[in-house]
Amino acid sequence: MTIQEHSPRGWRWARQVRVVLRKELVDSFRDKRALSSILLSILVGPLITGFMMNRIADRQKEADDVRIPIVGARNAPALVQWLAQQSGVVVATGPTDPEQAVREQSEYVVLVVPPDYADDFRSSRPAGIKVVADSARSDTRAQVERVQALLQQYNAEIGALRLIGRGVSPAAATPLKIQGVEVSTTQQRAAKLLSVIPLMVLLAAFTGAMQLATDATAGERERGSLEALLVNPVPRGALALGKVTASALAGMLAVMVTAGLCTALLRFIPLQELGMRFRFGTPHMVGLMAAALPMCLLTASVQSCVATLAKSFKEAQTYMGILILAPMLVGVMGTLYPIDHQPWMYGVPLLGQYILLTSVLGGYAPGPLAFAAAAATCVVCAGLMLRATVALLNDERIVFGR
Amino acid sequence: MIAAIDLKKYFGPVAAVNGVTFTAKDGEVTGLLGPNGAGKTTTLRMLYGVMRPDAGTIEVDHVDATKHPRDAQARLGVLPDIAGLYPRLTAREQVRYYGELHGIDTAALEERTNELLKTLDLMHVAERRSAGYSHGERTKVAIARALVHEPQNIILDEPTNGLDVMSTRAVRTIIKRLRAEGRCVLFSSHVMQEVSALCDSIVVIAGGKVVAHGTPDELRAKAGYDSLEDAFVALAGSGDPR
Repeated sequence: MTIQEHSPRGWRWARQVRVVLRKELVDSFRDKRALSSILLSILVGPLITGFMMNRIADRQKEADDVRIPIVGARNAPALVQWLAQQSGVVVATGPTDPEQAVREQSEYVVLVVPPDYADDFRSSRPAGIKVVADSARSDTRAQVERVQALLQQYNAEIGALRLIGRGVSPAAATPLKIQGVEVSTTQQRAAKLLSVIPLMVLLAAFTGAMQLATDATAGERERGSLEALLVNPVPRGALALGKVTASALAGMLAVMVTAGLCTALLRFIPLQELGMRFRFGTPHMVGLMAAALPMCLLTASVQSCVATLAKSFKEAQTYMGILILAPMLVGVMGTLYPIDHQPWMYGVPLLGQYILLTSVLGGYAPGPLAFAAAAATCVVCAGLMLRATVALLNDERIVFGR
Repeated sequence: MIAAIDLKKYFGPVAAVNGVTFTAKDGEVTGLLGPNGAGKTTTLRMLYGVMRPDAGTIEVDHVDATKHPRDAQARLGVLPDIAGLYPRLTAREQVRYYGELHGIDTAALEERTNELLKTLDLMHVAERRSAGYSHGERTKVAIARALVHEPQNIILDEPTNGLDVMSTRAVRTIIKRLRAEGRCVLFSSHVMQEVSALCDSIVVIAGGKVVAHGTPDELRAKAGYDSLEDAFVALAGSGDPR
């Protein structure tokens, strides 16, 4: 008897949740202005990152592919020929006024070979050569450094040949064996930009759900449709769950779009030219989703609860702006101070997700237990927030805004 | 049938409703009449289950609404005090949404929605979003969604407030039709003509208390005035402590 009475009631409950969920989704997907603002906030991050990554890669490539205008190339045919043989080097005829050309930024760098070069070179005196560059320009530094490195290399090669010609081992003239450990700044910058992806995925969970969460709660009350809705024989729990699920789905959609976009951009960016070995495949995507999607339940339920508590739609939006600081804080801290991963951190919402996301992108995903723990805390916290929302909907002061 | 038995509701130290008792019978239109701030809306809100009474009992078709609020709500169709629509949904969708929440199956709901939209002369806005509706259209859509599950009891909080003559007539026609169908209609108003034209029974409420209950003729007789308006002023004044 009790079971018979119980099961249709549970069934009706589930159906009401679905009705509310579908209505909220239809309603919010018709809100063109809100939709476009969400889309913009989701797209801007990945696009900027992709653009910057591409710029960095391009510049690195530009540094390797260097065009060297030479004034007085006739004075040093051997040097010019040697330069032309180096990979990525294009030798050109220099401008008539090299200093002016560099100052006007029509050339990055100009080599000037004086007329007495040949005489000095032939008689083994240090032959003068000028590298005209503007050290105030940071964007050409890579090219200038490349040119100088090439000249150093030529210098060393010719020096070694001369020593051998005089019966001296070049090693004698090399007291130091200098090993450069390359810590390229461009690579660091690129790596840092990659670490922005987890932050953007976290942010997407907030921005994606935000509009629906406020519209379905504070908006519903402000439009005056809440009282009429509460007259229907629907348990408050079903209403709250329907609304929270709808905004969670919106958050999940935003997360998927962001992650998809970031990874699509990664394919276009010549990461290997930045010296980064990064291969992104389906397992990575699955990892990202496993880390981020459960969190959307929590963000949506927190946002719904806070928006229900707010006295007006405006106030709710202000609170949303404050809530979004949470993932930003986690992301910024994570970027500035590389976190030492501790097992307990998986149990902290947002922090756990951030660590999981960075790990997946770094190619060293932790075991399924870590994913499960992070997801479980999110689901439990979401449940608590849902209960709080139901309590608020049962509070007359909230419903009637006293 | 809706019965309110000694309902009380306090907002802090203020007794908004202070012992209201009356019964609205099936096949009758009962008017809840009173000046602004008399406690009409608070009384109705308790009856339709969005406010809990601090004391007293509510029965809807003999279901104890304070104990089983959802069961009572299933027997009620309500035009609440604030009856906002969803601006991005069409009239049809608003009605359908409420029907689905009541658990009406799809085929029956489609038929019922069409019937309501036709009766309320809403077919021309059926597929239009409600953002651009007139006040009359909004009220009629709100009434349509309140009636979608064919409730035995209907509560309308100031249904004709701010409506033009045509819309007011349309609402009165619906109320009369609902009575003819044997339903229990309870509506609040502060407009005298409306109450005297429509109601079989009038509950005059003032200062959170029922000051008179009876047919329009009985009330006129009780207050000793020929005009219902004078009777109302006299009765409402007697219930006001000031």
